[in-house]
Amino acid sequence: MSLMNVWKNWASRLSVMTYKEILQFLRDPILMLILVYAFILGVRNAGTSVSMQIEHAPIAFIDNDRSNTSREVIYSFQEPWFSPYGVISGPREGQRLLDSGKVMAVLDIPPQFEESLMRGDPESIQLQLDTSNSSIAEIVEGYASQVMAPLGQTFGLKSLGISSSSSSLPPGIIDAHRIWFNPNVLDSWFQSVCQLIQVITMLALLLPAAAMVREKERGTIEQLTVSPLSPLQIILPKVISMTLAIIIGCCLSLFIVIGPMFHVPMKGSLLLFFVITAIYVFSMTGIGVFIASISRNLAQVGLLSIMLLTPMIYLSGKFTPPEAMPGALLAVMYIQPTYYYLNIVFGILLKGAGVQILWLQILIMIALGSVIFIAAMRRFKRQMG
Amino acid sequence: MATASVLNGDGSALPIRVSEFGKSYGKVVAVREASLDVVKGEMYGLIGPDGAGKSTLMKSIAGVLAYDAGSIEVFGQKVDSEESAELIKSRIGLMPQGLGLNLSPDLSIEENIDYFARVRLVPPSELEARKDRFLKMTRLDSFRNRPMKNLSGGMKQKLGLICSLIHLPELIILDEPTTGVDPVSRRDFWAILSELSRAEGMTALISTAYMEEALRFDRVSLMHEGRFLASGTPEELVGLVPGTMVELRCPNQIEALGVLREYYAQVEPRGEWVRLLADTADRDKAKSEAISFLPPDLQPTEVRTWDPDLEDVFIALLRQREQTEGEATSAAGTVETYAALPEEQMERTAIEAMELTRIFGSFTAVDHVTFQVKQGEIFGLLGANGAGKSTCIKMLTGILPPSSGEGQVSGADMRFAGQEIKERIGYVSQAFSLYIDLTVLENIMLYAGIYGVPKDLRPERAEWVLNVAGLSGRGDAKVASLPMGLRQRLSLGCALVHQPSTLFLDEPTSGVDPVGRRQFWDILYRLSRVHNVAILFTTHYMSEAESCDHIVLMFAGRVVADAPPESLEDNIENQVGHLLEFRTSDPPNALGLVTSIFPEALAYGSRIRLISSDPTGDEQRIREILTEHGIQVLSVTPKPISMEEVFVHTVTSLERESEKAKGAA
Repeated sequence: MSLMNVWKNWASRLSVMTYKEILQFLRDPILMLILVYAFILGVRNAGTSVSMQIEHAPIAFIDNDRSNTSREVIYSFQEPWFSPYGVISGPREGQRLLDSGKVMAVLDIPPQFEESLMRGDPESIQLQLDTSNSSIAEIVEGYASQVMAPLGQTFGLKSLGISSSSSSLPPGIIDAHRIWFNPNVLDSWFQSVCQLIQVITMLALLLPAAAMVREKERGTIEQLTVSPLSPLQIILPKVISMTLAIIIGCCLSLFIVIGPMFHVPMKGSLLLFFVITAIYVFSMTGIGVFIASISRNLAQVGLLSIMLLTPMIYLSGKFTPPEAMPGALLAVMYIQPTYYYLNIVFGILLKGAGVQILWLQILIMIALGSVIFIAAMRRFKRQMG
Repeated sequence: MATASVLNGDGSALPIRVSEFGKSYGKVVAVREASLDVVKGEMYGLIGPDGAGKSTLMKSIAGVLAYDAGSIEVFGQKVDSEESAELIKSRIGLMPQGLGLNLSPDLSIEENIDYFARVRLVPPSELEARKDRFLKMTRLDSFRNRPMKNLSGGMKQKLGLICSLIHLPELIILDEPTTGVDPVSRRDFWAILSELSRAEGMTALISTAYMEEALRFDRVSLMHEGRFLASGTPEELVGLVPGTMVELRCPNQIEALGVLREYYAQVEPRGEWVRLLADTADRDKAKSEAISFLPPDLQPTEVRTWDPDLEDVFIALLRQREQTEGEATSAAGTVETYAALPEEQMERTAIEAMELTRIFGSFTAVDHVTFQVKQGEIFGLLGANGAGKSTCIKMLTGILPPSSGEGQVSGADMRFAGQEIKERIGYVSQAFSLYIDLTVLENIMLYAGIYGVPKDLRPERAEWVLNVAGLSGRGDAKVASLPMGLRQRLSLGCALVHQPSTLFLDEPTSGVDPVGRRQFWDILYRLSRVHNVAILFTTHYMSEAESCDHIVLMFAGRVVADAPPESLEDNIENQVGHLLEFRTSDPPNALGLVTSIFPEALAYGSRIRLISSDPTGDEQRIREILTEHGIQVLSVTPKPISMEEVFVHTVTSLERESEKAKGAA
């Protein structure tokens, strides 16, 4: 047989197997439903309702001064950031409210607060925070500082005899922000794209693993192992068809939700985005194949996937900036493709970056993906033998 | 016992009384108008193919499935609600279908039994004795501490039976307990059941897809598509279709088949013979008639006649019903065109194993196995569960490398050319392994693509496969909607799509009804006789083993017999003796007496069978001991030795030898 014929045979086997996978996928209504839900409704929900911006943080006040100034301070804590609970009797009640979770913060203004300020002495006030959820507490704390800073400055200037409206301000640094890439700091942009990445990651892992283990469960794998198919010819069609399904899902997501509903600019090349996504899905399916090779049934695939997906998503940089990670975890973060994929996708969609900027990240992602895929194939081959 | 009265002989209520029972799943009617009375101490068989409604009826009787019509009474208690079912559950035992499904895989044999005993509140004082007795009877006592998951299929099934019997139920309901179980394990299985029914008066309702097991029952009902075709003792059923089986050995088997099919409705190949059912009980007339239909060049060299067996009767009954109701099951088609082997390869050895050995760790699964399969031969590879058949097939098909030894398949060396072998063979496995969510045609096209059938040939080849499988015009049907028999024919069709010269069939007919199995075999005969295809076949149906041209029997990884089935049967007859069947006036007590002098004797319903090296002397001894105890001997009939006896006898004597060897060491 000539080399040409060998290649033609190989391609023909691949194409009939891929056609079979696509048919099976289309015949599974539950799978279609999940795809549509995850890519359309899931992304929409994430964009509209998941928000890191805290609103209506309940706050209580202990006013030991009962002066104009203390009331001025209290009235500065307003909606929509805060939801004032009211003035309470003292620290004991404050503690109780914090313990029961009725308020997130208690602001304690000391006696003779106004008097000391008038005298020109520094005065401190105390903010007690419920930090059981540390990230939310930090945000609330940030808000409180933002409220208090101008107040403090006003008093400071007053004591120097300068009116805050005066044109002759003392020397100081004016802190002027320019916000790039997401000028209105819209959470919906970040959240919807993150959700898309999460859905892609999840399906890229689960779909091929489920398709593989279904062959095991129904015993159809036996017929394939005695046929002249190589392990690669069994796996590749699943990877190709699932990648196709995920790319179509991405299109739905981008052109129905992320674009029209959230007006994410999608500045960079969409072609590049799809190519990168295909490569990413490919490397994720490697992990899926690995899971399928050690699982006996769909339940095991599901549990193993959940176990792997959670750390992968947490270490993708979505929730945790790499700069804040301890050394060992940072290493884990740097060896998983999701981290690079997240950066690349944000680069393309929000920043309009192209290959000339992202090439290193893309190369690393491809390298990691290939290693995972080859390792998984080796394991699968051993199992079939 | 043939006619059931409303009450047992002692005036107590019948163990099972079913009248006008009906059950549907949505639009599908599973069982209709079924009526059935089972008397105390009786072994009652429900016989029929997959999907006949056996499981539905049995589950309803056991009180675990609600039903739509009719009534069920168990020990006089109406079973019509969960509460009423609870009242009888302590008196019955149920073993559901499937190998070891009711057992815990990680517990040992003993722990499984103890667990069931505790759930059933068996007094600890009685448990030990009972456990010992059951384990000894099933020959499991040396494996007490082995976890269930490491047992062979047959052992799992025996353990399942012990667990369902440990509380000595008055009624035991077993759903296809012997499907996929080898003949030796099946024999142990029947031994414990007949012993309990004899000693404790236990009643049993058992379903099976093996027609040859029908003889084990006192009474049977033949079921098909939710209906009872006929009920009665095995003798009564055989009497329903008066006729003679004529077997002819003709020069050209396939042509003779074609000629005789024009005159007889039931004609099939068996080994080198053509077997047909003539509708006259007069043997000589049947014989001469059959011969007269054959043209001079097809005149038989040898003719023999038999009484029809139950399988023949089942098929005849089905045929009669189809004629009256105009229903027709689609028949398998013909195999017209086939890629012919080049002349010089017609006589070659298609499959050859030479000293094949496979070792897993310290366990030798296959031990220096040597055999040959010629083109055009149907070759049966037999053995108990775990004897090494599957490992052998895996090595020959190039999936598993051998530890040592060599072999070739279709001219390709199995050690180096696994890929070539895979391209040249067809393979059908015991588990259905096509895609049920695809249509018939989509499956065929998939395999046509995998096996590299050229694109322009594929539509034509698909049409051919549809024809072979008897599925013409049903190409667009989802495979999920096909019954078991048709699915297996489609599997065979898909395995033939590239027209291989060698076929590997690993228990392809497990669970397929007799009609489906015969149609399957029809295709196999055409392939082997007309197109010279070599076929390697494994099965637990001994009636199928008899249809093979050549048999290799494996035991503990070794080949222990290698000959055509007839010479294996003759060997046993010459070495061990003849098969005798006794009918007596008091079967339960007679069995006890006979087994006291012949431990190998077995109950077949109300009859007793044993192999005797001295038929006249042994018959005399048995007659003496029975008359001494006031039991009349109604008849003694010599029976032909079948593959069932060959298998059981060979394997059990080897097992005894290896145990002795272990004991000596």
